[in-house]
Amino acid sequence: MPEINICNEAGRDAAVTMESVFKPLRVRWIDEKGRQAQSVRILKSTLDRDIGSLSESHGKLEEVSSALISSDPEVDMEIVGTILNNTSRVYVNPKRQIVHRIEQFEIIKNPDGSEREKRSRELTVKNVSEQTPLKWSGVFIKRDEAMRKFLFSNKLQLFHINGLTYDFLFGICKELEEKDSLMLLGAGPKGNQPLILRRGSVPYRGFLEGRTDGDKYCLLLHLSNLELKPPEETEES
Amino acid sequence: MAKRRTKPLVFQFENDEVTFDMIKVDRSKLYGFKELEVTDDDGNGCELATLAEDGRTIIGKGGTGIGYLAADGCWAAKSNLKPVDIEGEEITPVKSSFGAPIPLTEKVDVTEFLNHNIRLSYLMQPEALHENLMKSLTDGAIYRFPYSYRGGLEADAGFLLMNAEQQVFFLVGDPTVIEFVGLQQAASVAPDAEAAEAESEGGGLMDFGMI
Repeated sequence: MPEINICNEAGRDAAVTMESVFKPLRVRWIDEKGRQAQSVRILKSTLDRDIGSLSESHGKLEEVSSALISSDPEVDMEIVGTILNNTSRVYVNPKRQIVHRIEQFEIIKNPDGSEREKRSRELTVKNVSEQTPLKWSGVFIKRDEAMRKFLFSNKLQLFHINGLTYDFLFGICKELEEKDSLMLLGAGPKGNQPLILRRGSVPYRGFLEGRTDGDKYCLLLHLSNLELKPPEETEES
Repeated sequence: MAKRRTKPLVFQFENDEVTFDMIKVDRSKLYGFKELEVTDDDGNGCELATLAEDGRTIIGKGGTGIGYLAADGCWAAKSNLKPVDIEGEEITPVKSSFGAPIPLTEKVDVTEFLNHNIRLSYLMQPEALHENLMKSLTDGAIYRFPYSYRGGLEADAGFLLMNAEQQVFFLVGDPTVIEFVGLQQAASVAPDAEAAEAESEGGGLMDFGMI
């Protein structure tokens, strides 16, 4: 379970755990006897038998189509239909060979599609961990205002790991609930940088929301990388 | 850049039909976007593929599919399977939301709205102003309704609301399960051991790289 280290208003920090909130299962598939079926990922075709490969070995598309009808060269009977587990993502070159050394470039484009910049890809560095405390920003936004300004696409829930951190998180929840506000949670020395939860992952703005119910609490970290506003071209029109 | 519009969405509000044009809003339209170019040592463009567990079978785009296994481990044709909900009740498929006006009757509060993960947003432009609906939205109402683009087994949660600049937005989201925890429900697992397991399974924390 990943950990996060956050500060409270008094500047005390504690490492606690966090989990993605899960989406409820809404659809199951059952057979005629009422037994649940499970879905599996299966192999349909391989790269060495795709249309490009067959064109190289058979020539023109007319000849490929004749071969498809007469000898099924697109199907490898030994492996088609195999259930896929533990697959990896790899890069292949135009010869369909795995490439072990790659160079990555980012092409930055404007909303209108025009190119702004081309540069070597820089992987974002994780800045949320149990070692570095995320500062208490003290930037509160009323919940009703925040949900009309930002689009929250994901959320994580923070949990205590012992009695001390229970009090710690409960206290944060109580305060946020009394303020009826979300608090901006950022990384970096000033606590104003977006959160990066894994190396190379998308940076998000974090917003803490606290709820309590008796002696129970719910501390949510809402994640957003999109404002709720129209594109400029629409505003102009 | 040409605007991409979808079909208008029609709501039923106080016995009136209110039609909105929808304009999809996403990150690329607000902030621009990135394209990734990957090359090998010789400068040749590379593409992503999937490597099977055997370490030598390379699967290209579209080379995988979804199949179903019955409880006895045999293949099950999807036509022989029946969709049910979590209680085992048969699911009645929903129709496309563009086929008939959507009744706007259910209001939700901010807490209920925040229980959802939002994945699509549309700017809504009314064909004709409906004063009562606009007043209700201006006053802060959040309307929830089932929404399905094409129709299918289940509907998504749709929300109609106004943003901070008084523009009408339609948001599509998924409900999440949020639980209150007490002292006795302390996460008693050793964080280090669990972290290693979660990392290896790709579970626990969401995969932000996929978003």
